[in-house]
Parts: sequence; C-alpha cells; structure tokens
Amino acid sequence: MIQLKTMLNCIDNSGAAVVECVNVLKKKRPATVGDRIVVVVQKQRNFGPESSTNSGIANKVRRGDIRHAVVVRAKKEMQRSDGSLVKFDDNACVLVNKSGDPIGTRMNGVVATELRGKQWSKILSLAPMHV
Amino acid sequence: MATFSPIMRQLGCLKSAAKPQSLLSAQIARRSLTTVYTPKPEPVPLPTNLPESFLSQLTPRLHPANGPKKIKIYPPPPSTRAACKDPVAAVTESQLKVLDPNGERKALFDYRRSPRSVKVGDILRVTFKNGDPFSGVCLSIRLRGIDTAFLLRNELTRVGVEMWVKVFSPTVKSVEIVQRTEKRKRRARLYYMRQPRHDMRSVENIVSNYLRQKSVLAGQRRQGGQNRRQKR
Repeated sequence: MIQLKTMLNCIDNSGAAVVECVNVLKKKRPATVGDRIVVVVQKQRNFGPESSTNSGIANKVRRGDIRHAVVVRAKKEMQRSDGSLVKFDDNACVLVNKSGDPIGTRMNGVVATELRGKQWSKILSLAPMHV
Repeated sequence: MATFSPIMRQLGCLKSAAKPQSLLSAQIARRSLTTVYTPKPEPVPLPTNLPESFLSQLTPRLHPANGPKKIKIYPPPPSTRAACKDPVAAVTESQLKVLDPNGERKALFDYRRSPRSVKVGDILRVTFKNGDPFSGVCLSIRLRGIDTAFLLRNELTRVGVEMWVKVFSPTVKSVEIVQRTEKRKRRARLYYMRQPRHDMRSVENIVSNYLRQKSVLAGQRRQGGQNRRQKR
C-alpha cells in the first residue's frame, strides 16, 4: 500500500536512504511489490568521511532528486498463487532510471520473489536474498 | 291579508308558479331512502344428474364441457439440500482424502486434539516444491478444514518477514519442527511477538544448528546402512 507521501527505505547503494513516494505509475491504486513509482530523495546515505572526498562512487543521487523506483518490499501482505501470504516489516524500494535499469550496483536486504513475475529479474539477481 | 297575497307576489315568481306540476312531483318521488338490505341471491347450483336432453337449454357458459379446466400439477424438482446435507463438509473431506491421505498433516496441526502437534511458539521449517525453504516462529495456527494455515515469522537480513502457509497446499513438501517452546504459551495468537520488545529476531542460527545435527544423524545412518550392506 504505497501511495502519495509514503516514506520508503532505499536499499541500494545509489546514495539515497529514505525516499518519499510522489506518484504510482500505471496504476490507479496503491503500489505493491514490483510496481514502479516516482520518488523524491529525502535523506542521503553518508558513506563516511573518506567517501565524501571522492564522491565518484557514492551518492549518485542527492537530496531533493526526483527518481523512478521499484518497490521490493511491502508491509501489506501479498497473496501467492498457492494461497500463502507474505508480508515484510517495512516498505523498501530500489531506484531505477527511466529505462528500468537499477541505479545502484549493490543491494542489501531481502526482497520479494514477486519481482520475477513483473520482469524485474535484474533487481532480483542483485539482491542477496529473496523470499 | 291572505287573499291579497297572490297579488302582492313579485312578478318573477310567476315563472316558477307556471312550471309544470308533473316535474316537481317526479323529483319528490326520486327522493328515497333505503332501509332494508337484501343480499345478492346465491346462484342455484345445477342439478348433478341433468339429463342429456336438457343440456342444450343451458347457456354455453354453464355447459359441463366448458367448466373450469383442470390445471396440471407438476411434482417439485428433486431437492439438492436433501441430496447433500452439508456440502462444505463433504468437499473438505473429499479434498483431505486427496491432499492428505494419511492424515499426518492434519494430526500435525490439530493442536486442540493431538498433544504431539505443532503449538504456537514452536520454530518450524517448511520446504516447498518450488522455491527456497522458509523457517520461522509459529505465531498462529488457523484451523479451517482444508484452508488450515499457520503463520511463520522470521528475520532475514534484519527485516522481519511473515508468511502464512497453507498446511494442505500441494506445493508444501514438508513441515519440520525445529524446536519446541520451552513453556506452553498462554495465548493462541502470538501477535505480540511483532513488537520489538518481544521479538525473537532471527531464528536462522537455531535452524542451521538443527540442520547440521540432522545431516550428521543422517550421515551416521547412511554409514550404518553401508556397513550392513558390506557385511552381507
């Protein structure tokens, strides 16, 4: 149930830590896992003092940037085809560019397997774990 | 005085005086008052054995051939309710026969009847036919016939994950009890374990320990089997 003003954790190394949803794309209802949304970066991740000097690797995005993102975890439970339900304790997303490739190169955190059904296998392969 | 009165009459009144007397009397005659009620006479029924020769004298409406038509009465359709008193129970039973022929799963989760069943607070490990196994603390068991399910909670990469699993789902290959609760929980639903204060956090360590022990035991058994074979 991700909609306008929902705050999500960003779990890639693009440099964003907390983002706010401003739009749900291709849908007239709240977004769930695998849906594409538009977000504003609210909080940057600081990669320590040494990374601030050479900001080539870290922080590809800045606070206030408007980016596209894909939801990878949702608090609202989602039903699988065999009747089982899966829910997470937080809402999380991964930033992507306009063509749908992830901005970050690494991810930390579990993601939902539903991403495969929605053609986000690239994100799924980056994730360390999926449920 | 009375003798003068016709002369003193206004001229306009002459007209009314000249009106024909018959009309006035008719009006009086019409003014009637009914005081006696006479009910509508009952129709006299036809005599039962009327000779044929008199039938032609009857009006066609009263002719016995034109009497009221006999309405055909159809029997009611067979009642489905009578055929199957409790269809839900019947479906549940037939489905259980297919999905759980031995009744093992049912016994494993029927915590009200079987004492050796899974209880809330136990750590379970579920393996699926497609996909990775999932383990976690059992927070609640929902006994609903064929829809019986249980809720597992775990923490993966420091994020809480919960999963409702259907007990009789054909995609569930096996359910193992990794660890039982030390003490019987006093609640049927352990939703309080979602709160950070009561959260068990990750159970991966316990599960991996259990798996290691299990593999060791299995290896011993396998070795024993090989020895026996060699002896033979």
